[in-house]
Amino acid sequence: MGQAGNCALSLAKVGKSYGSVRALDNLSFNVAEGRFFVLFGPSSVGKTTTLRTIAGLVAPDRGRVEIFGRDWTRAPIAGRGVSMVFQSFALYPHLSVYDNFAYPLVEERVPRSEIDRRVRETAAMLRLEPKLDRRPGTLSGGEQQRVALGRSLIRRPRILLLDEPLTNLDAKLRHDMRAELKRLHRQFGLTVVYATPDELEALSMGEEIAVMRDGGIVQIGTPDQLYETPRDLYVAGKIGSPHMNLIRGTLAADGAGLACGIGALPFARRLGGAAAGEAAVVGIRPSDIRLAGDGESGLAARIAMLEPLGDITVVSVEAGGATLRMVLPESAASSLAPGQAASVVLDPARFHVFRASSGQAIT
Amino acid sequence: MTAGVSFRALAGRRGRRGVAEAGWGRTAAAALVSLVYFLPVLFIIFTAIKPQELALSVPPTISPTSLFGLIPDQFVFPPTLENFSSVFSRVMTTGSAPEPTGFDLYFFNSIVIATVSVLLALVLGTLAAYGFSRYPLKGNDTYLFIILTTRMLPAIVVIIPVILMFRAAGLSGSYLGIILLYTAFNLAFTIWMMKSFFDELSSDVEDAARIDGSSETKVFLKICLPQVVAGLAATFVFGLILTWNEFLFALLLTSTDTRTVPVAMNQAVSSGGRGTDWTLLAAIETLFLIPVFLVTFFLQNHLLRGVTFGTVKR
Repeated sequence: MGQAGNCALSLAKVGKSYGSVRALDNLSFNVAEGRFFVLFGPSSVGKTTTLRTIAGLVAPDRGRVEIFGRDWTRAPIAGRGVSMVFQSFALYPHLSVYDNFAYPLVEERVPRSEIDRRVRETAAMLRLEPKLDRRPGTLSGGEQQRVALGRSLIRRPRILLLDEPLTNLDAKLRHDMRAELKRLHRQFGLTVVYATPDELEALSMGEEIAVMRDGGIVQIGTPDQLYETPRDLYVAGKIGSPHMNLIRGTLAADGAGLACGIGALPFARRLGGAAAGEAAVVGIRPSDIRLAGDGESGLAARIAMLEPLGDITVVSVEAGGATLRMVLPESAASSLAPGQAASVVLDPARFHVFRASSGQAIT
Repeated sequence: MTAGVSFRALAGRRGRRGVAEAGWGRTAAAALVSLVYFLPVLFIIFTAIKPQELALSVPPTISPTSLFGLIPDQFVFPPTLENFSSVFSRVMTTGSAPEPTGFDLYFFNSIVIATVSVLLALVLGTLAAYGFSRYPLKGNDTYLFIILTTRMLPAIVVIIPVILMFRAAGLSGSYLGIILLYTAFNLAFTIWMMKSFFDELSSDVEDAARIDGSSETKVFLKICLPQVVAGLAATFVFGLILTWNEFLFALLLTSTDTRTVPVAMNQAVSSGGRGTDWTLLAAIETLFLIPVFLVTFFLQNHLLRGVTFGTVKR
């Protein structure tokens, strides 16, 4: 990474503790200029603390924060060229929309006429012109969100931090705002750091995603990389919906297969670095399991449950004491019924193998 | 603390609902209750405009007008403003000319002393409350509790040490002395009240201002303070009412020049040996009500409206 342009942001071995709670632990990543970078992980994993550290609201205990090559670790907030949209929007409740937009410019001592021009330009871009005189409390959630965005963009920041900006919106609005955010990112060529616990948001918006756990980063990669080659069970479990099927067993002597309750699962190739008899987990995505064709030999299974989701159906089957979930096109699933016997094929080329002890991927 | 919260809750509901949502029945019931509470005040005001000899008449006169014949004549008194003029100037000894009573000075004293001490407590207390709320000390609650204990003792308990201290410091009878004393007394209440308002504010909003380039001073002045205007107004009114009505300290620590109205009122009605002059007392009380009434009236919008409602999603 980093080939796309200058390094806009670099965190190196950043640590931060609150009392005995370790919020950030040896956190390192780089964001190239113009990149849409997503911090992905469940709540209280350190995403917000990371953003607040970048903004300068939190001083890290250890490590280094660089913005466009300059060390800002202990520097004050002002002058970083970083703006932030808070999960709570954090609009100034006592000021009109106009004054909310104008606030950062007033603090920068921008001349009045210039402020007026930029406020109206921003309002036009976000379709908020009729609301300029209103107080934030009288606006809808989507409008408040756009005001928060506008207030962050009006300063023309070099880096925009977004802290779960869509969490407080309803589903329809969230969809619209995702598109809007992508459009704004393209339009301004902004460097964006976006924190979200939502897998769909992360995958659909992120050019690069950092999966976080316990204040550190587990894996950084493009959505494809995370989906295709998860580094460990944690990432494998977080990325992809429905979740990856996980089958526990022991590695065969030659490292070419897994012995488990379902039977022997041969791998497509021999795995290096795997000890025979070691406990392991094979992961296979629901989309990599299919029904066996006529005359094709497959795994004997029984249909347990059907979940129709429009044009696809999630089918749960039981085989050898394990439940496997597979995704079938609606047309292929329409003839199935619970209790029915079925034969399924697992694509060995699509197996992800992990050590049971550490969760690390074996390649 | 609860006062702050309930004010804001009230403000929120009021902002959302229509004015007449309660319906006529409940509105009428509320009006009736209000009237019962207001009756003593009305009685004082009517007594203030009664001729002196009708003050204790039996049956009592209850109205300055017959309301177009609705009220029988024996209950109606002819209204007069004479009592108000005798508040400021009246005949002290029979046969002599009217003398000034000094009440213009006492009203001036009450206004200056109450306003200055409440404002001073508001400035100091708001700063302290912001400090307690945003930069908590180790043992923050202990400090706050100690501050509260200054309000737990009744005035009579501390009056002797206070008098001795004032003597020693030469503050007895001076404006400065009584203003400082009232400021100290209002401070505890102001700190607790304002802290609860500051605690309610979203810290994200302040962080947003910091990122937008505001210094800590500006965060306080431009972001926090405007959001607690309702709290400032409520604290100001409560403090003003307490200080305006205070009697004991004023009696013992003011001189003739710095005397406040409650003390002067006591002396005016009990002097002369003719028993209590009820109409004069009522006139003083009526005048005494006006400043607090006006302040409360002009601040009522702020008392009822919280500006922060519904702006931060939680």
